[in-house]
Amino acid sequence: MTTTAPPRTPAPAVQREPRPVPAWRRGLRPYVLSIPAVLIIVGILYPFVLGAYYAFLNYAAVVRRPVFIGLQNFAEILSDPAFWTSVRVTLHYAVVATVVETVLGIGIALLLNRSTLVGRVFERVLILPLMIAPVIAGVIWGLMFNPQYGVLNYVLGLGSTFDWLGESTAIWSVILVDVWIYTPFVAILVLAGIRSLPKEPFEASAVDGASWFYMFRRLMLPMMWPYILVAVIFRFMDCLKIFDHVFVLTAGGPGDATRTLQIGAYQNSIIQLQYSQGSTYMFLLWVIVFVTARYLVSVLGKAQRRAAGSEE
Amino acid sequence: MTRRELWTPNRRDLLRMFGVGGAAVGASSLLAACGLGTGGGGPATDNGAAEVTGGFDWRKAEGTEISVLQTPHPYQVAFQPLLAEFTELTGITVKADLVAEADYFTRLNTELASGAGNYDAFMTGAYFIWTYGPPGWMEDLKPWLQNSSATNPDYDFEDIYEGLRRSTSWDFQVGSPLGTGGQWAIPWGFETNVLCYNKTEFDRRGIRPAETFDDLMQLATDLTDRANNKYGIAFRGSRSWATIHPGFMTQFTREGCKDYEKQGDQLQATMNSPEAVDFTRKWVELARSAGPTSWTNYEYPDCTGDLGAGTAMMVYDADSATYPQNIAGNSAQAGNLAWHPGPAGPDGNYGTNLWTWSLAMNSASEKKLAAWLFIQWATGKEAQTKAVQTGQAGFADPTRKSVFDGAFKQTLGNFPGYQETFEKVIGSTDIKFTPQTQFFETTEEWAVALQDIYAGQDAKTRLDALAAANTTAVNRAS
Repeated sequence: MTTTAPPRTPAPAVQREPRPVPAWRRGLRPYVLSIPAVLIIVGILYPFVLGAYYAFLNYAAVVRRPVFIGLQNFAEILSDPAFWTSVRVTLHYAVVATVVETVLGIGIALLLNRSTLVGRVFERVLILPLMIAPVIAGVIWGLMFNPQYGVLNYVLGLGSTFDWLGESTAIWSVILVDVWIYTPFVAILVLAGIRSLPKEPFEASAVDGASWFYMFRRLMLPMMWPYILVAVIFRFMDCLKIFDHVFVLTAGGPGDATRTLQIGAYQNSIIQLQYSQGSTYMFLLWVIVFVTARYLVSVLGKAQRRAAGSEE
Repeated sequence: MTRRELWTPNRRDLLRMFGVGGAAVGASSLLAACGLGTGGGGPATDNGAAEVTGGFDWRKAEGTEISVLQTPHPYQVAFQPLLAEFTELTGITVKADLVAEADYFTRLNTELASGAGNYDAFMTGAYFIWTYGPPGWMEDLKPWLQNSSATNPDYDFEDIYEGLRRSTSWDFQVGSPLGTGGQWAIPWGFETNVLCYNKTEFDRRGIRPAETFDDLMQLATDLTDRANNKYGIAFRGSRSWATIHPGFMTQFTREGCKDYEKQGDQLQATMNSPEAVDFTRKWVELARSAGPTSWTNYEYPDCTGDLGAGTAMMVYDADSATYPQNIAGNSAQAGNLAWHPGPAGPDGNYGTNLWTWSLAMNSASEKKLAAWLFIQWATGKEAQTKAVQTGQAGFADPTRKSVFDGAFKQTLGNFPGYQETFEKVIGSTDIKFTPQTQFFETTEEWAVALQDIYAGQDAKTRLDALAAANTTAVNRAS
């Protein structure tokens, strides 16, 4: 005799009542959740607002009781030719350095994309300049630039008479150092982008007999555009705020040849102890960076939509 | 409508937020750094000297620990091993924080402006008193010196060279000379600005240092041989106030020039006077024809480094900066160097600008008696004598006449001309600048003007513009 067990009916799921949250935890929750906001306010907004507020005072070491002076600092700085020289130097630096680093970075990324042994070695070597603090890089390049005992004039056969940090050459020399430090950053970013591209369009083009340059121009570059723009945005914004290696190499000189906005702010705030004037410099720099960043990010958005095919 | 429907950030929104936020954060950090807190204008604490009563006793602050902010320098290096003796003498322990000279004054500015009182005493130069004194960041040491309960009867403040005592004292009134008002620091070590030259090379050529500025120009030019990477004379040229004060200000003064003149209750910049324009033009010409190629970037280590390497034949800078190059093992030219006062002025004067590393007390310190005992000990006869005798890196120019005439002279055997040079200039050595609170701004602008003239601008036009700007700056601040 066989017996069949009666079909089992699943036991009804026990509807467990959620354990009541203790009142003290309910009361604490809003405070815990607000911690990030408080940190943002204390850590970012408060110093920023305080710094901006100083721009409206006559706060300096020799002024015992600073008072509100409205826009006087802005009027003084905007009518100072040295400020506009700093703006010109900063923009010159940022545009040239960003363009050179982007072009070189793309070129290096394309070379490294061919996964040869040499390419793989260079991939590792490439990151070395990024691992050196810009101040140290400035010191190293300062020694190499020295006409009396530096290695550059010796290797290039320029004798002791070519001055890398002279009136007409200093801006190009500090850009050269920036290019040396940051081109690898662009190259690494672009290389990561290249390796994330789909292979199919390239394989189809190769079957159709398209040349390498045609594929680069019509396939790779449009798809790579968002990655390149990210690199451009990072580098351009960084260059607008450049300070460290320029200060080490030239301190803004000769004359005002390399006096960037950050160096102007440093000189006002730290050397001359004119805190309000330094804050005004930085506030104006912040406006420039903010407006530029907004514009570049909107361009990036368009490029991404275009790369995704959602916008012509 | 739920909160989520109100705004749903997509990838692009997030990227945009991060981009703009990143820019804001980057800029805000320095904006905040520019605002150094509100300690600068705050009231200083009481001087405290009057609270010390009774007989003098080194152990009056026994058990205290003080913090001292210092920069690595031959003076500091020579004193470091002696701190244990100070602790043994007083029962006070000293915590010395060292910050490299390039960053030292940035750190000190920030520290003093904060009013936090983290450091009880600190190293300073005389020019810094003009900036740190008016906001009340430094303690007046005169009441401490005058209080016999706080100051050892053997201290002998008058033993410190008069030019040095005067250089560290001022009343902060525009137009007042140095030596008026409070004593804001005690000179600890100092340096005169004179010529150091490669004696071996001079002897080989059968030549001697120049006695007039025109002769110096000719001599330096003759010694310059760019093809063999040798040049006549090194002096500072970087975009810094420090370019003006050593050789330039010394010779500027000897040639009869002044930086400012008092007119009523205002200062008038006179670095564009006919004699100043003439001298400045010559100085820049000297840099161009016989100076280092990268002159606009030269600081004193570059100058002395070239002297020690045999690249520069002469250096016009602090004697203590050239002194280490002559110590065996320190440079290729060690043992070959000698000193000379440099060219006299047309009237034969040897007016010389000085630099003094001095010790000052933070007005926000809460351990002022201990800080004063430390300053008093470090600037006293016994400690300076020991530092001179034991300092491995040398201890150029002790601030006390008794120490110079005693222990220091015995160390000068291998330094031809050092003592003679010192004795020739010391009587006319002090601060040659007119004291004013905008020293760093106006003097850096002066260095920028030299660089502009070096780059080809007309000296008269450039110095006229500099004088106009500096006149406005010094009177605006007063």
